[in-house]
This record gives sequence, C-alpha cells and structure tokens, in this order.
Amino acid sequence: MSDLDSDDSLLLEFEDDDENVSYLDTYDDGKPTHLDSDFAKVPPHKIDTDDSEFDIDESQFSGEDLEDDYLVFPVKKTTKDLLDEDSVPSLKYECLTTQEIFESMISRVHHLQPVLSLPSQDILILMQRYDWNEERLLEEWTEKMDNLLIESGLNTSGESNGRGVQNGKEFFCPICCEERLTETFSLECGHEYCIDCYRHYIKDRLNNGKIITCMDCPLALKNEDIDQVMGGASSARLMDSSIKSFVRKHSNSYKWCPYTDCKCIIHLKDTSSLQEYSRLHASRFVSCNMGHSFCFGCGFEIHAPADCGVTDQWVKKARLECENLNWVLSHTKECPRCSVNIEKNGGCNHMVCSSCKYEFCWICGGDWTPHGSSFYQCVIYKNGEKNKLVADTPKKTLRRYAFFYKMFTEHEVSAKLDWKLGETVGFKVKGLQEKIGVSWIEGQFLTESLKTLNEGRTALKWSFAVAYYSDPSHNLTKIFIDNQGLLSNAVESLSELLQIKSPEVIMKRKTEFYNKAGYVKNRTKALLECGRDLLLKGISKARE
Amino acid sequence: MASLPKRIIKETERLASDPVPGIGAEPHEDNLRYFAVTIEGPKESPYEDGIFELELYLPDDYPMEAPKVRFLTRIYHPNIDRLGRICLDVLKNNWSPALQIRTVLLSIQALLASPNPNDPLANDVAEDWIKNEELAISKAREWTTLYAEKK
Repeated sequence: MSDLDSDDSLLLEFEDDDENVSYLDTYDDGKPTHLDSDFAKVPPHKIDTDDSEFDIDESQFSGEDLEDDYLVFPVKKTTKDLLDEDSVPSLKYECLTTQEIFESMISRVHHLQPVLSLPSQDILILMQRYDWNEERLLEEWTEKMDNLLIESGLNTSGESNGRGVQNGKEFFCPICCEERLTETFSLECGHEYCIDCYRHYIKDRLNNGKIITCMDCPLALKNEDIDQVMGGASSARLMDSSIKSFVRKHSNSYKWCPYTDCKCIIHLKDTSSLQEYSRLHASRFVSCNMGHSFCFGCGFEIHAPADCGVTDQWVKKARLECENLNWVLSHTKECPRCSVNIEKNGGCNHMVCSSCKYEFCWICGGDWTPHGSSFYQCVIYKNGEKNKLVADTPKKTLRRYAFFYKMFTEHEVSAKLDWKLGETVGFKVKGLQEKIGVSWIEGQFLTESLKTLNEGRTALKWSFAVAYYSDPSHNLTKIFIDNQGLLSNAVESLSELLQIKSPEVIMKRKTEFYNKAGYVKNRTKALLECGRDLLLKGISKARE
Repeated sequence: MASLPKRIIKETERLASDPVPGIGAEPHEDNLRYFAVTIEGPKESPYEDGIFELELYLPDDYPMEAPKVRFLTRIYHPNIDRLGRICLDVLKNNWSPALQIRTVLLSIQALLASPNPNDPLANDVAEDWIKNEELAISKAREWTTLYAEKK
C-alpha cells in the first residue's frame, strides 16, 4: 500500500476503518455511514499484498483505460489475507502441475550432467531411484560411483550390444511359452522376450512410478526403451506417476488440490513458518491456479475461524453423530415445554407430550388451545424459524451439539445455494454489459460481492464449530456469538441483494452492494479475529 | 473358461516330470489354475519333519501377476499369519514374469528355513521371536508336531 498518497483521503480513511473494526461494531441496518457513496465510484479490484503472483488476474490490468487510481484502490482482502496480517507470517507457495514439476526435474538433470557426465537418460534413472533428491544422489555418487550405477540397474560396460527391439523371427518366449514369428526385446543382459509379453509387462508398471527393470535381472529400462517397445510417448506416463509418488512422499511441502478433478499441486516453499501457524491457531490457507482455496494443513476448505484441530474434531464428531442426530432432527421435535424429543409416528397435529402432558401443535409448536378443531392444518404457523438463528446456547450436550450442528449444516446448505446463485451472477454481469452498456470491469462489483458473500458464509459456518468447543460462560464466547449474529445478518442481507435480477435495479443499487459487501468483510474479519482469540486463549479447545 | 495358456501347461508338465525335492504341486481336476501344494519343513529348522499344505492359485493375468499362495496348515512363523497369508517379496513387489511356480515354492521353503522377524506379518509371533528366540523356536517345533506331522 505504499503508493497510497494523500491525494485520496477517502481511501486512507477506508483503510483505517478496515483496521479498527472492534468486535462489537454496532450494526446500523446494512448501511454503515462510514462508507459513503463516493466509495461506489471506485471500481473494485483484486490487488493483494502478498502472493501477488497468484491472486492478481493480470488480464484485468492489461487495458489501457485503467488509470492509476484504479490501481490504488483499497486492497480487497481475502480471508487468507485477513489472517496473514498481524503476527502470522505470510506463506510462500506456488501452484504447479505434475508436468511442471517434471520439467523442473529435467532442468535439474541438466544441471547434474556436467557433474556426473552421464547421458541424461541415465541421470533420470538415478534421480528416480533417489526420489528426485539430487543432494542424496550426489552424496552417494561421490561414495560409490560405479556401484551406484550397477545398483540402479545401469549398464557400466559402455557397450549397448543387443539392446532394443529385434526384428521378427521364429522365437520361443519363456514368459508366454509360445513359439512363433515375433519381434523381441532385450537389454544388454540378453534376457530376450517377445514384444507382446514386454508390452504387457511395461503397461502394468507404468502407473507404479517405479523404475521398470528387465524381467529377469535388475537392469533398468530407460525412457527411450519404454517408448520404443510401447510406441508413442508412454514413458511420459511413467514420469507422471513417478512425480505423483514424489508428491505423496513429500506431503509436508507438496499437496494436491482436494477439489474434484483439479490437477494442481501446491508447493510450499518455506515450511519453517508452519510451527508458528499452529502456535497461533491460524491455518495455512492456499489457493490453486484454478481458484480453489483450501487449508494446506488438513486439506479442508477454508475453515477459519476454526483451526485444523477444531475442524478435525468437529468433522469426526459430525461423522460419528450425524446418523443418530439426523434421525433425531428429522423425525423428532422437542416438546416446547420440557424439551423431551418426540417422534410423531402418525395421527394429527394435536400432540400430547407423554412426559409432561403438555398439549401443543406439531406444526407451530404453540399451545394447542387456540387451534380448536383444525387438527390437520395449522393457521398459526409463522415463518419465525429464521429469527431463532442465534438463540441462546442450549445447555444439554446432545441438544447443544444438535444446535451447533444444525447451524453449521444450515450455513453449508446456504453456501451451496449461494454457489448456484454464483452461476447466475456471470449472466447478470453479461446482462449489465449488453443491456445498459456497463463495462466489464465496472460490472465486477457483482462478482466481488459474491466472493465476499461466500467468504462470509464459510467463516460463519466454521465459527459454529469454534463456538461448540468454547466455554459458554466466558465473556469472549458471548462476544463471539454476538459477532456471529452480526455477520449472519450481514450475510443474509447481502445474499438477498444478490437475488435481484433486473440489471437496471442492480445498477441503481450499486452503492448498496458496496456498502453491504464492505460491511460483510468487516464483520468477517472481526469474527475471524475473535475466533482466533478464543483459540489462542484456550477458551475454545478441541477435545473429546 | 478360456483355454489354459501354454505357459501354465508347460509349468504343470514340468512340475510333474521334474518335481522339486521336498515340494509337491498338483493342479485341481476342476480348475487347472488351482494347485494343492505340500512343502516339507527344511532340515535343521523348527519345521523339520513337518509337511505343510498350501493352496496356490494362478490369477488370470499370470505370469504378469504373481500367483496367490496361502498356508492351509497352521504354522508358527513371524512372516505367516493365522490365516496362512505369507509375507514374501516375490509374491508382492518383487514378482517378475520370469519367476515360476517352482521358484516361488522354493522361496517359501527358504522362508521356513530363515524366518525374518524384522519384517513381520504376524506381529505377536514376531515379537516373541525377537524377545526370546529359543522359546519361539520351541513353540514352532511344538506346532509342527501338533499340526503338520507326517501321516
């Protein structure tokens, strides 16, 4: 933010505001006054402080019409960035594919060539043998030299007699025991087999990621041999599987993006900061090039304010309890008076609690008396369910858990709905462009709002896991719960705004989008900070 | 069933015409991929004088895939578990199509002669073996007389 000059005091003011959100910022009806309408004139931008190589979509800046003030727009902070500031060290990582990792391995092979003075195919075999660890390879190379080559299945005689595919001839193959006219393959060792057996043999091993040897001795097949036998670039598959096993073995610094069908691998360049992260109960959230964000520690989605410990406990518990609980939640209701769980297994809505004899209506949960004789239809039912969102925490264990679990899943479901909403946002932006001639860049506030909404929703969702493990009597927990309430309201009102379909209305209420999105951001940040405080102070602890 | 590959026919013939000393392998009448195997306990091992029955099955992909072998006779051995499953490299990672039924069975016989408690399958047995080898060996001998005696 160094290029923020005084010529734009509004921006500075906003920036200040961003820093100083207190836990209990009062909510003034979705229109926080500090974000006045001027704000709306500045188009939003994704400019991130760290990790810029990942988060900036360069194409956004390519247009010539972009003025300087676009670029100094207040930094839009993602959840990750919110956590990165303060005391948590920033994360250095890169997003790669197996192909890119392989290419970097190849360049290392080239570096090794003058040292080892071997053909690069041979170095490739050695690198595979040493799990692509050139330090270890060089160490053992200086110790063993030729022995290392023999151990790795490389021919040291320098001759390459008899290596390769031989032309068709009458041949008895000891593997399939067939005698027929066929091509054959052998290495220098002279163990000769028919080409079909060799193809079958190699094909079975391409996905194992290990060096393929002669069927009868440890002599290794090089990539060129594999391609010669199989035809085409089959060795690429072997290299791919070799890299995959390399990634598996180095899981502390390499992680696959957990999203379905995503082929990205995140490489953490500096693992020294990891300890600091767990000490601060912060999580290492990363984003791959496809835009999928996840926690490097546990592979889950972004679960702030919960740390990995809480997340793990919560998910395990949910898995364990969910069957029971789902049944209880979907088949029973609590007696409004004594809270015993009641299963309705037939009959009308007039319920009599078997435990306290309270008579109530199954639909609205109210006293039966005003219902009179309308046994099968409840006229009193109100859509009041939503307002109970942040009711006071129930005390009994299962009820308590059920409450938090329900809140968690409710937000999960909402997040999925928001996701669907997201699919329509693209159309809306297009609509803005086509119908009112709004430029693409100007229409981005919609996309940004959606992103903010998703982040807020996710934070809210996981905050219930933190809340569940918190000491309910502690003051900070109460503040945390108040924060949940505020964020919840903010998220719902932004979500509502995003439902608007008419492009004209959207443009007219653009300011509102900014205000509400800005507010959600602030609230999210406050909730995340408060959640981390809970964990840091040990008020919230994963336990069994 | 698809016709039996030449390789299996050859191996079966050779097992009959040129049997390995101390090892018997006969294919089942109904399924020529299924073999009833007997292995004599190696001399100077706790399994001496025992005759161990095993079953061996050649999967569809044999010889590209290793044969499946299992002890039917109970045996007290750190690399063989209660179900008779065997922990042996040539049956797993180190299988090569150039190996044969006879070489596999010889490897199993060799495993009886030299148990490897450091790479155990039956953890409890391996632990006994490491803690008190003498006692473990006498127990193996005991089991041999109990379950694998010549009839």
